[in-house]
Amino acid sequence: MFLQSFILILKMFILHFNINTIKLEEFASMFHQILLQIFQKLNNERSISAAYHVLRGKRSGQTIQDIGLFQLHNYFGLLPKLPRATFDEAVSLFSQDSWLIIQESGHYSMKKLGLQRAEQTPDFLFDGWHYRGNEHIFFARLSLIVQSLSYQSAGIRSFSPISRDTNIQSWVRTFLFEHNYQDGHLQQQLLEECESVLSELSLSEANKQLVLYRLSGYGLPGWTWQQLASERKEAVLDCQLAFIELLHVLLNEVHQTTDYPLLGNIAEELRVKALLTDSAQQTAYLYEQGYSLEQIMQIRKLKQSTIEDHLVELAMYEPNFSIGPFVSYKEAEKVWQASKQYQTKKLKTLHEVVEGMSYFQLKLVLAKGEV
Amino acid sequence: MELEQILAKQFGYTAFRPGQKEVIEAILEGKDVIALLPTGMGKSLCYQLPGYILHKPVLIVSPLLSLMQDQVEELKRFGEKRVVALNSFLTVSEKRYVLHFLEQFRFIFTSPEMLLQQQVQDKLSQMQLGLIVVDEAHCISQWGFDFRPDYLRIGQWFSQANRPPVLALSATATNKVVNDIRDTLSLDSPFEFLYNVDRSNIHLGRVVFEDREDKVHWIIQHIKETAGPGILYMSSRKRAEQYSEVLIQAGIRAAAYHAGFGAEDRQFIQQQFIDGELDWIVATNAFGMGINKSDIRQVIHETMPANVENYMQEIGRAGRDGHPALAILLYCDDDVELAKFVVTGDLPTSGHVDRYQELLNQQIQPSQMLKNGELSETAFRVLDYWLQQETMEQVKVRLNHLALEKYRAVNEMQKITQTKDCIRKQLVGYFGQELLKKPENCCENCGINYDEINKARLKEEKKIEMIPWKSRLKQLLMGF
Repeated sequence: MFLQSFILILKMFILHFNINTIKLEEFASMFHQILLQIFQKLNNERSISAAYHVLRGKRSGQTIQDIGLFQLHNYFGLLPKLPRATFDEAVSLFSQDSWLIIQESGHYSMKKLGLQRAEQTPDFLFDGWHYRGNEHIFFARLSLIVQSLSYQSAGIRSFSPISRDTNIQSWVRTFLFEHNYQDGHLQQQLLEECESVLSELSLSEANKQLVLYRLSGYGLPGWTWQQLASERKEAVLDCQLAFIELLHVLLNEVHQTTDYPLLGNIAEELRVKALLTDSAQQTAYLYEQGYSLEQIMQIRKLKQSTIEDHLVELAMYEPNFSIGPFVSYKEAEKVWQASKQYQTKKLKTLHEVVEGMSYFQLKLVLAKGEV
Repeated sequence: MELEQILAKQFGYTAFRPGQKEVIEAILEGKDVIALLPTGMGKSLCYQLPGYILHKPVLIVSPLLSLMQDQVEELKRFGEKRVVALNSFLTVSEKRYVLHFLEQFRFIFTSPEMLLQQQVQDKLSQMQLGLIVVDEAHCISQWGFDFRPDYLRIGQWFSQANRPPVLALSATATNKVVNDIRDTLSLDSPFEFLYNVDRSNIHLGRVVFEDREDKVHWIIQHIKETAGPGILYMSSRKRAEQYSEVLIQAGIRAAAYHAGFGAEDRQFIQQQFIDGELDWIVATNAFGMGINKSDIRQVIHETMPANVENYMQEIGRAGRDGHPALAILLYCDDDVELAKFVVTGDLPTSGHVDRYQELLNQQIQPSQMLKNGELSETAFRVLDYWLQQETMEQVKVRLNHLALEKYRAVNEMQKITQTKDCIRKQLVGYFGQELLKKPENCCENCGINYDEINKARLKEEKKIEMIPWKSRLKQLLMGF
């Protein structure tokens, strides 16, 4: 009897202990840290879903504007396939731990504890805005190149390619021929570039190792996300985020200098130059041709609000775009003063405080930023 | 040139495997052929080789995109450049290009879905084909375990006069399925090659349990004591992951494998298994398609498979090198219910029929059901096909029949599981063949000593450790 209850207590203790360790892990989770940072930046002024759309890289006017308003560029499109359930699970943990409160409207407000936690998170080096998932194309190219060279070193001519994507395959084929891989010197050149660029990056050795184990070669299979996650004692999603972060940093490094001709070639055209949605791009073109808002509406057969969203996007990302035709300098100043005074970028509030201005005008002013 | 010379020149093999030559000769004589050859016995060669003799394109209809890709890659590895996959992965411009130059390819792979498109049909009717191959032909039959309605839709296409010979390929099919294949494809007194389904080097074990949970202990103990490489087949993704965790914790070099993992991860697992870094794969039935590892020594089924065809295909992955291998089927009474639940879980129900109609009435695309995740892709395909042919009531009756048929297949499997007679004889008999000779350690009922087949597990299997990134980089690129 006594022994049994002792065991029971022990079991409960173990259970309790487990719960504690799980909590610790949760906090250490990179995914949760990123979410906290986004919530903090959104400043309680958007719904919970806004953060989800940012991570998924939703190309709607609203999300694009949020990116500019709240400076969320780095997080844009980090996880294009993030399941809603995974996101909701994390959010409900936050609310359980009293880091934030979720209102019925779907909005949230950060609590003191949550803000503290957010402050304690490290600065990540993502650059979602400029890569938008293209880092995976870079890595697919690199993987197939490394695999091909590895089999070539081993003297084996046929193998089953790690990338089934025919675009990647034909790109890599061209790359290999252009760099005369038959000579057998490409291995050494690529090795030197990879080694020196990775040494440059101020990221942990463990994360560099992670990326190397997603590559494979002759007799050297890569490791699955699950295998890597259990080795690193973290969640699969966190492994994947660490991988993406490293690629973003690496790609930025490669783009900045001419020291890495091969990697620069592999990264070719993957950094997004046109920072607008395609549709906004078309509107921008017509606007630059001198067409008025009404004319653009007619030509493109789109609603006024859609065209307005495009112009807001333009205001946000095109330094030469002037909002002058739509808002006077005086009006803009009033908006900025109100925004400061009330500590908000909420359109509804500003619309109430600053009289006589449309939502479109307010958005333009906020998008352009303080002059 | 002799067939053997072409075999050596194009493919680098010195001899045909059983059945290949007979099938190829029949094709070259212009006959229709049904060939049942087990996976891994060189089915594809039966159309690959004629491709170099016929001087007209060979069209291969293949139901699984991943399999199609494997076959394209295989031909490319043999140095063939005139091979193309005409499937839904192509962009509009790629497809236009492929269609324009279609007659210039030696091997054209395509899916039943593609064959239904008018522009594809038009193009093909203007061309002269040397041979039409229907791969995984059991998918034609609604009695088959992986029925694909699109195959029925293309049936008509095969009835046209002066079509080239048709080669129907499958790994496993019962008499009933063979009849369906013959009728649906309008085959003209075909030459039939039925490979002996018995694999005498695979010894058939069976262990009966009172309770499902008792299996866990048995499996861990067994795997700890005996040597791999082996595959442990599970009924669901979740269980595959759970079991792999348990095995890893017990110090076994194991990994889970199912269709939920990304393509790279799946390839990594296959490669690790082939390279000997893993001893056990804990898999759903998604594992095995196209895997080429000849020294698999054990296949264990944690629970009864849904039908005899699946069972044969899965145990058939063991012992391809001809050396002794062991297949063990674990069984407890609850397994039948579980199997029935799993097989019908994938079927559309009469509720789905109503819902389909409801969406149509609301002028919403029924495929919305699929997007909402209300049913699986296979289920939707079946539903969509029949509702375009028949009334709601007829379809409901049909679905009911299908469910019963699946139950019947489970019952067949159960019979073999529970038989007191020779298991091998029963299995071979199921495929309409006769067992000629019983090997030593034939099966659980004839008497079997696992220790004579299994080797003991060597203790020094070391887990592969990660090395620093610089060393790994160097290994990858320089090979040392």
